[in-house]
Amino acid sequence: MRTPITLVDNETGDLVEAQLFDEVTTDHFLETENEWRPLVRAAARRMLQEERSGEQIPQHWHWDWTSKAPDLGMMAITFYGVECVGKLQGLMKLETVGYYSRIPDQRGAPLVFVDYLETAPWNIRPFMVALGLRARFSGVGTQLIEAAVRLSMREGYEGRIGLHSLPVAENFYLRACKMTSVERDPGKQNMLWCEFTPEQAQKFLRGDNR
Amino acid sequence: MASAKRTMTLNLTDAEMRVLEELAEQKDLSKTAVLRQALRLYQLVDARLASGRKLFFEDEKKKEKSELMVL
Repeated sequence: MRTPITLVDNETGDLVEAQLFDEVTTDHFLETENEWRPLVRAAARRMLQEERSGEQIPQHWHWDWTSKAPDLGMMAITFYGVECVGKLQGLMKLETVGYYSRIPDQRGAPLVFVDYLETAPWNIRPFMVALGLRARFSGVGTQLIEAAVRLSMREGYEGRIGLHSLPVAENFYLRACKMTSVERDPGKQNMLWCEFTPEQAQKFLRGDNR
Repeated sequence: MASAKRTMTLNLTDAEMRVLEELAEQKDLSKTAVLRQALRLYQLVDARLASGRKLFFEDEKKKEKSELMVL
């Protein structure tokens, strides 16, 4: 199913039509390999050469969406993509079974786990600055997080979502989305576990905290 | 992006219904949602095992692992 959404064209500041879809296929995974990964690696290389702060350097240069092909068709796993101007702008993998809140007063409440969320490298400002270019679209990440929240609501999880954030993405989840910083997870390279409570999810959907 | 839903009648024993109701209450979910979760989990586990992976339960205190076999 495809749903119309809007992104912001950073060149003009205008809203542009895009599509959120859940019919993700191996072709989309291959598109990330062929079109995204070379650019991510180029940005990482340039940032290392320029000795930029380690926190800005891409930490997902090795991600391989094609390895997730066996998960297509699993009912416990949902993929969402965003397309605009005929290109894949973002991709997300969600798991809807077996993940629970770690917030003390909500411990044990089921949530949607955001396993992977990636925005096309040409939409990530620090990468494009490193390559002497301008980021193309804004809003891909927030549209994908909104899709995760809406799925959580349909599942009866009241909008609860949780994820392990890469260090470079902590600002996005904590400041842009205003998720709760719950704990560092020593079992996951000490990544930060972030969650939306039902109240935060409602605020996010209303745009109160953006 | 909700999918179309179909309805079926499910015959459960008293014991099965009691477990379903307990799980629904514990998880604060409807009975339908619990069964949906169970089906998804079963499919995922079955697919992982079919691809050659193994499923274990680990007792951190006793440092014991036991493999879960699924029919």
